[in-house]
This record gives sequence, structure tokens and C-alpha cells, in this order.
Amino acid sequence: MTSTIVTALLFDGLFAAGAAIGFCLISNPQRNAIPICALLAAIGHALRYWLTHYFELDIATASFIAAFSIGLLSIIFAKLIRCPAEVFSFPSLLPMIPGMYAYKTILGLVKFLKNTESDVAVNILLDVFKNGTTATFILFALVVGVAIPIFIFHKQSFSVTRNKLVGK
Amino acid sequence: MNNKPEIQELSEFLSEYTTCLMAVGVQTSRIARNSARIAQAFGYTTDMTIFQKTIIMSLKSDETNETFSSVNKIKPMSLNFEVNSMLSKLSWETYDEHLSLDEIKKRFDEILKKPRISKWIVLPLVAVGNACFCRIFSGDMIAMLVVFVATLIGFFVRQLMFDKHINHLFVFIFSSFIASFVAALSKIYHIGATPDIAIATSVLYLIPGVPLINGITDIIDGHVLAGVSRLINALLLIICIAIGLSLSFLLLGLKSF
Repeated sequence: MTSTIVTALLFDGLFAAGAAIGFCLISNPQRNAIPICALLAAIGHALRYWLTHYFELDIATASFIAAFSIGLLSIIFAKLIRCPAEVFSFPSLLPMIPGMYAYKTILGLVKFLKNTESDVAVNILLDVFKNGTTATFILFALVVGVAIPIFIFHKQSFSVTRNKLVGK
Repeated sequence: MNNKPEIQELSEFLSEYTTCLMAVGVQTSRIARNSARIAQAFGYTTDMTIFQKTIIMSLKSDETNETFSSVNKIKPMSLNFEVNSMLSKLSWETYDEHLSLDEIKKRFDEILKKPRISKWIVLPLVAVGNACFCRIFSGDMIAMLVVFVATLIGFFVRQLMFDKHINHLFVFIFSSFIASFVAALSKIYHIGATPDIAIATSVLYLIPGVPLINGITDIIDGHVLAGVSRLINALLLIICIAIGLSLSFLLLGLKSF
């Protein structure tokens, strides 16, 4: 039983890492940040998978916890490699962006517009509302989750790009 | 500061610097902080208002109270994380090492001249990434392959059209259409067990993730206007993706999910 969970988590992490590399390359990341982004994305996404599948947590709360751990880890790596924590945390969040919920909301609205039967329309409306709120909640959960560690370690995270610490 | 630059000269550089940061996708509070830091290093204070297309900035000398205001257009550049972190680094270097303005300008140009990762490397990796994404949404191996091909073609078209500076909304509609059309062919010819997942994930490489994250970050930081305008821009792009999808559904006579 536990081995199936472990393999499921490993595979989820592996594919999330692949997705993160692909999506962050569009935004031209620093070369040395790419492997770390992949690692953080794998950890974050696998954590979310674990929470939603084995703890039956809702996806927004799970995203929040995943993003929070990505934020913490990215601050640690930011200190080690000396670049802003966002360099790691942003691309690692990309696989968790609720893209499909977002465009399904729009498609549902179009479907609602075309529909003429009122009992079907209620179901479509429910779908639209469900997809829309899920997308919004995940998005907020991701950003707030990643930002909280940065607020906690305020001073460190703003000055990591500094080369030497000069007394002012 | 002995070699204090002219207010106009510094303002020109800062406008270049901030519009560049805005274009490569940096959150608003970081832009304000970085430029205030550079200004402070030369004995000036700066305040700015940032909109989606322009930045209004005023620069004030601490000694003479002389002020200089300017409105600067944001240039169209594509997202670039590397420039983001290098330019943040530059602001600290200016502050700590007391660099002269000429030296900063030289380093700034060097940072901007750095070549992007070759598009021939990006193209296959984006396709692999999107195929991986298809697996996360529980598509089978064949669906992954379909998504790989669809993304390869769609992203190639996107790169071509971006290089030709075609309106970006149109680019999004068209590349979403191409990618979903290729993926939808798998449904028509009954390839694989999960063609619906293939179609649904084939357009996800277009989702504007960075503007969405930046928009929410800005709103939380209190730059509500800047954040909302970023979010509306991202929403427009998502609508374009949906239009492209609907177009291929319409052309192939498929039912929308």
C-alpha cells in the first residue's frame, strides 16, 4: 500500500518537474536556477497531490500548503545561490497555475450563452461558478502561500542579491 | 557624493531601467524599491506611479530640492527572469559599490544584450513540459504524444508570429487554435483512450502564469490598480485561448466540454 503511494508521488513529482522546466523556459530563467525550479516544483506538486488524494483536502488549501513550502525552500536556495527568491518560486508555481479551470470558466460562459433549456443552463452555471471560484482561490492560495515566508524573512529575502553586506 | 550626476541624466537612465523591469515581468513593489535604491545612491529620492503602458516618475534632489518628472512608455519586451534578477543585483551594486552612472549604464546595456536561451532548445522542452502536464491530468501515453506534437506545432507558430510582431491577442487565438486543432484530430481519428484530456491540455502552454502571479502579488502589496490591470490583461489572453479552442471545436464539429 505504501509503495503505491510512494510511486504515485514520485511520478507526480517527476512530471511536475518536467512541466515546470518547460513552462519556465518560456520566460528565460537563469541557467543555474532551472534544476532548482524543477526540484521545488516536484516537491510542491507532489505535496499537493498527496494532500488532495490521501488527506482529501480541498485543492485550494492543498495549493496553499504546497506554495508555502515552495516559498520556504526558495528562500533557503536564494541564500545559497544569491538571487531573488522569486527566481525559484515563480517558475515552480507555474505547473500549479489553474489554467484549465480558468479557460473552462470562459468556455462554460459561452456554452451558457448558446444554451436554451433552462434545466441544463443551471448545471452549466454551477460548473462555471465552480471552475471560476476554484481558479481564483487556487491563484490567491499560491501567491499568498509563497509570499508568507518572504514576509517572515523580510530582510533576508530583499537583500539576497547584494554581493557584500556593508554597514550603513 | 562627489560625482553627482545631472538630474536629467539620472532620470533618463531610471526611466529606461524601470520600463525595462516592467516589461520583463517584475512585480511593482520590487520596481519601486530597486529604482529608489539607485536614486538614493546618488542622493536623490524618487516616487512613481505605474500603469500598464506608462510609468510616471518624479525625481527629487535631496540637497537642492530640484525636481524632475517624466512619463515613460513601457516597451514591448518578452518575459525574462534572468534580466529581472540581474537588474535587481545591479541596483544593490550601485548602492554598495558607489558606481558611477556611466558604469551602471554600461552594465545595464551588457545585461540587456545577453542572449536568450536558444529558441530551438526552448521549443522541444516546452513541448515535453506540456506533455508531462497531460500526464498529471491523467492522460495516457498516446495522449502525451499527441500533446507533444500539438505543442511543438503551436509553440513554433507562436514563436514565428512573435518574431514578426503581430498583435499578441491574435497570436494567442491562432496558436491556441493550431494546438487544439492538432490535438482534436486525435479524437476524430480515435487515437488513444483519453483524447479529451489531450485537447484540454494542448493549449495550457499559453496560460499567462507570470502575469497572473504578478497581478495577485501587486494587489496584496497594495498596488491595486497595477495588479488589476495585469490580471485583466491575463484574463484577455485566457479569453483568447478559449476563442482558439472554440474555433477548432467549431471547425471540426466537436462538442465543447
